[in-house]
Amino acid sequence: MAEKQNWYLICYDIRDPKRWRKAYKLLKGYGESLQFSIFRCLLTQRNCEKLRWELEKILEPEDALLLVGLCERCRERLCGCNRPGAWIESSDAHQIF
Amino acid sequence: MLTQAPPIIPTIRVCALHALAYCPRLFYLEEVEELYTQDAAVFAGRRLHVELQKQEDEDWEELNLESETLGIRGRVDALRTRNGQVIPYEHKRGRCYRDQNKQPQAWASDELQILAYAYLIEEALNIPIQEGRIRYHADNVMVRVPLTTAGRQKVLTAIQQAQALRQSLQRPPVATNEKLCASCSLAPVCLPEEARLSQDPERATFRLFPRDDDREIIHVLTPGSKVGKSGEQIKINHRDQPEEKLPAQRVSQVVLHSFSQISTQALHFCVSRDIGVHFITGGGRYIGSFDPRQGSIQRRIRQYQALSDAQVCLHLAKLLVTCRGQSQRKFLMRGQRGKSDILTTVTPIIEQMQAVLKQIEQVNSLESLLGLEGNLAALYFSALPALLTERIPEELKFSGRNRRPPKDPFNALLSFGYALLLKDVMNGILTVGLEPALGFYHQPRSQAAPLALDLMEIFRVPLVDMVVVASINRNQWEISTDFECRGSQVWLSESGRRKLIDAYERRKQEKWKHPVTNYSLTYRRLLELEVRLLEKEWMGEPGLFAKLVVR
Repeated sequence: MAEKQNWYLICYDIRDPKRWRKAYKLLKGYGESLQFSIFRCLLTQRNCEKLRWELEKILEPEDALLLVGLCERCRERLCGCNRPGAWIESSDAHQIF
Repeated sequence: MLTQAPPIIPTIRVCALHALAYCPRLFYLEEVEELYTQDAAVFAGRRLHVELQKQEDEDWEELNLESETLGIRGRVDALRTRNGQVIPYEHKRGRCYRDQNKQPQAWASDELQILAYAYLIEEALNIPIQEGRIRYHADNVMVRVPLTTAGRQKVLTAIQQAQALRQSLQRPPVATNEKLCASCSLAPVCLPEEARLSQDPERATFRLFPRDDDREIIHVLTPGSKVGKSGEQIKINHRDQPEEKLPAQRVSQVVLHSFSQISTQALHFCVSRDIGVHFITGGGRYIGSFDPRQGSIQRRIRQYQALSDAQVCLHLAKLLVTCRGQSQRKFLMRGQRGKSDILTTVTPIIEQMQAVLKQIEQVNSLESLLGLEGNLAALYFSALPALLTERIPEELKFSGRNRRPPKDPFNALLSFGYALLLKDVMNGILTVGLEPALGFYHQPRSQAAPLALDLMEIFRVPLVDMVVVASINRNQWEISTDFECRGSQVWLSESGRRKLIDAYERRKQEKWKHPVTNYSLTYRRLLELEVRLLEKEWMGEPGLFAKLVVR
């Protein structure tokens, strides 16, 4: 039983450069940045909650944060209606450098 | 004259009382064995508190209180004054309990917690408290809990029970109410289902741990690479190549082959993020792992107690040798299926192995067990060449096990595979928090940890031998590029090591149905499960260890 994982798009507008850097650094630890202010992260429910908690400690009410959970079907469509290479996943559980 | 001061009993956290009311075993695991895990609900609860704090701003007051006389301490969520009365508030993310009339009530553990806070404030600040309030955010309900004499008594009883448990060496049994375990954050450590299974082998299990670790294992092979950290990322620098950065939450192990560098900052970071760090030489010998020694001492004490008993050691060693011998025998049987030409050579060996396996039951010393294991290994390796197809190059033929150094490519593959396996077994032992240096079968010697060598026996056939034989039969090896021959010594070259790491890691991802627990899991999970099942052998829930036999 693997913990269920889902892809999330995480988008933000952060009004203060200091907070922005903090949030950016944190999100780098969870996934990769696709475009400015847009990350994609493969998260378990636990990690998703953890990330939200850690983000909540950084953000202020004036900042905007949007988490978009993608179901399996969403992900397929995402690959289908984009340029090739816009969404690449590796299925290996290891990397050799 | 000096009088002896009474021993200072450390106070108990109020949230520990909450755990105690939920399940005594949970309290014991957290407070005595110091095992914490955090599931989604824990983080969601913390976020709720951050949000509440921001909403309330200056209005929010947190109080750290301690009372020596009561023997408890705690941090009160919020304290408000209503009509001249001081009232402690507790915020809960979930729903409240509904009684028969559908009236909102506090859950028993929450009730005890707020009562303890109220009583604590009364004692520490010396102000009368009449009630505490719990707010359940999921159904937006406020529950009032009056602080009565009966309530105070409840708190006192719980504190006594907590103190008694703290002194106890016995871990309380698994909760009888299975619903409690379903939403318990410590289930992956407590393993309630496995415990029930060991009491009742007929049981159908529905949820088992450890969970699959979906994070990546990073092997750094190129000599001269540097592993560092950058923010929340693991950074890998190669010579003449662009820097690679990986999100730390996606990494579970960093394996450094040959002389790659790792920065101290990265080591600290890996410890804080539960990332295992392992070292293997360029020649493919396992050196060791970075051991942050976070395993609680309780587990180790019990391991020392159990493994100081020669009878326990012998029993476990018998299980181990049987398990490995059966796997070897089954692998040979599998290899001879449909191949009439090798039947005459392999079948007698399989029968001899069966005869040796039968003798294990009667053995009464580790020495004679070692002898039997030697017989089994000799029989197995003598039959192994028959499993290789005819079409393979002459150099890859196998004619007996040799090592330190390996003298032919086949042995080089086995040796490097066993080094990778030893690394993973160590990772499991360190994750669970056992002492790798105290084993039950292998005797202590320099360099290799006996417990890791013991546990490794279970996995040698399925994770290494099968992988090596299959890859050779598939003609995946190039003698000239994948191996380096130096005189009589044979080593894997870098491309060879890459190939074997790849094959081995892929094998670990394969799923497999466990014969006893009867559910499918990857070998990767199985490595950790086996360590946990071993610990259960001396924790009073035996019978599940070393049942992994290839079919």
